[in-house]
Amino acid sequence: MSTNQIPDSFDAYWDAIDAELARYDAAPELELLPLRTTPFANFYAVRLTSIGPYRIFGFYSVPNGEGPFPGLLYTPRYGSVNNPPHYDDRQRYAVLTLMHRGQRLADQPFAASYPGLLTLGIESPETYIYRGILADCLRGAEFLLSRPEVDRERVGIIGDDLALITAARRPQFRAARIDSLMFYRALEASAQVGDYPLEEFNDHLRGAPEQREAVAHTLAHFDARYHAPHITANLLLSVNDPQAVNGPEWQEPLHRALGGRAETYQLTHEGGTDHDCLEAWMARQLGVEPKSRLWSTAPATP
Amino acid sequence: MGALRQPAETYGTTTTMPPDFDQFWADILNEAQTIPLNPTLRHIPQRSTDEVDVYEIHYDSLDHLRIAGWYCVPKEHYIAPPYPALLIMPGYISEPTIPKAWAKLGYAAVGVAPRGKLRSNTRYNPGYPGLLVNNITDRYTYSYRGFYIDAIRAVDFVQSRPEVDASRIGVHGSSQGGALTIITAALRPDAITVGAAGAPYLCGFMDAAALTHSWPYEEINDYLRLYPERTEAVRNTLNYFDGINFAPRIRCPMLIYVGLGDDVCPPETGYAVYNALGGPKEIHAYPRCAHDAGSYWEAAQVRAFLAKYLHPAR
Repeated sequence: MSTNQIPDSFDAYWDAIDAELARYDAAPELELLPLRTTPFANFYAVRLTSIGPYRIFGFYSVPNGEGPFPGLLYTPRYGSVNNPPHYDDRQRYAVLTLMHRGQRLADQPFAASYPGLLTLGIESPETYIYRGILADCLRGAEFLLSRPEVDRERVGIIGDDLALITAARRPQFRAARIDSLMFYRALEASAQVGDYPLEEFNDHLRGAPEQREAVAHTLAHFDARYHAPHITANLLLSVNDPQAVNGPEWQEPLHRALGGRAETYQLTHEGGTDHDCLEAWMARQLGVEPKSRLWSTAPATP
Repeated sequence: MGALRQPAETYGTTTTMPPDFDQFWADILNEAQTIPLNPTLRHIPQRSTDEVDVYEIHYDSLDHLRIAGWYCVPKEHYIAPPYPALLIMPGYISEPTIPKAWAKLGYAAVGVAPRGKLRSNTRYNPGYPGLLVNNITDRYTYSYRGFYIDAIRAVDFVQSRPEVDASRIGVHGSSQGGALTIITAALRPDAITVGAAGAPYLCGFMDAAALTHSWPYEEINDYLRLYPERTEAVRNTLNYFDGINFAPRIRCPMLIYVGLGDDVCPPETGYAVYNALGGPKEIHAYPRCAHDAGSYWEAAQVRAFLAKYLHPAR
């Protein structure tokens, strides 16, 4: 079951998060990390204040040279660790990878559990942990968009629903690449998939079936359909196989909500092919050269 | 990334075998054996289903660290014991998943959380990035010394369980999980029946670091950029922990699968470890696949390969 209507409280909920965030100075602190700095890019640990107040963490890499550089924000994945910016990205972008509250390097005083984070406080939108996590992503976006070395006309964002919602709430992004969706039609998806992390929803409702309606109400605040009308960035959505969760039919309501404005990428499931196609899309959007991670192989010599 | 590379299977390796490799690991295993396992199980009703019971487990390992894991067992009314055991080894940055889906097939399945992973990191927590290069110039304190032992102690755990048929123990994982699959099968050759390792990490460390700028091997490149004079010390340490040097000790059937476009664990190193394997073996290679190692197609083959030797109920 999932609510198929935008909650009455939707706009007020997100406006309140913005207002709460605005009350806190981000108080950015950048620390140069010589271990990760290369001849072509400086590398920083970044600490920012989000709502709570809570101090979050990011890895920030800036190419050497005049700039300004196109900016790229990777929103956090679901898991305790996010990789630092990749070598290929660091040569072309001012790139920020963010750790939200609870993830490693942002796990004081709150350390997230895996599994467990996905349903923490899910009984109410006000108590749901993702209220704070989305605020963390918005704070990261504000940081990147405010940097003098970043060309504000060329900033992209990559990730899952967290990236989509961030792009909806911060319309300064030129391009948003959404590689997967976790909150879109979440309870319907978890009923079909049964793998973690969506299985966390099933675990929760198995123990507390009376909360189904409340959980659906909470999750509706994070459903991509209801954020879609606010997205102004050029959007690329990855699409799973036909008939599968996040396949073309599954995403149809989202595309309706987007007014048909999103481009789609049909996943081949060849990781190298998919990576290169997705990465080239963002490179084109931000006006830099694509970088393939595949390579050519010489013919075998007899 | 170079524009043109030789075929992965022809690359070879610069990994060399230290003359005291076997003694080094025999000493560590002997030290570990003096530490009682002290296994505990705590039932987790919230994660259990009509078919599978889920437990959080703990056991003691090297340096007396308490190691966590998940243990999933079919309910008796769903599938009667005894069960083959399957150890699911975790990736580098991922937390061990709860292996419920494997238990539903009839395995007593353990998701291992070696030191440094959440729930096993109160006394040892080098972080990510960090684990790969923690004490990398000293083989006696290098991170993976204890980490490997934590993984293989999961074998002792399942052997202690009355519902497990200890003559049928498999091990499986991808990336770091693939490496731990190889190391476990090598260090416990009498216990492991079969292994399936995807995109194996920690094999040909220095070759991999030379072939890629992707994480986690980039940790080595970062370290050596700052401390180039330590290159030989790093290489010497890593030879003691390289899956390629463990592989000849393996006697059970092994399945290796790789992506021929893997920028994280280069396929050259996957072939190098495959070539070094001691027992019956097969390799599946997927063009244009990266660190996914063709899992979209390979997952069913892994299930069939493990089932062929472990005979789960479903």
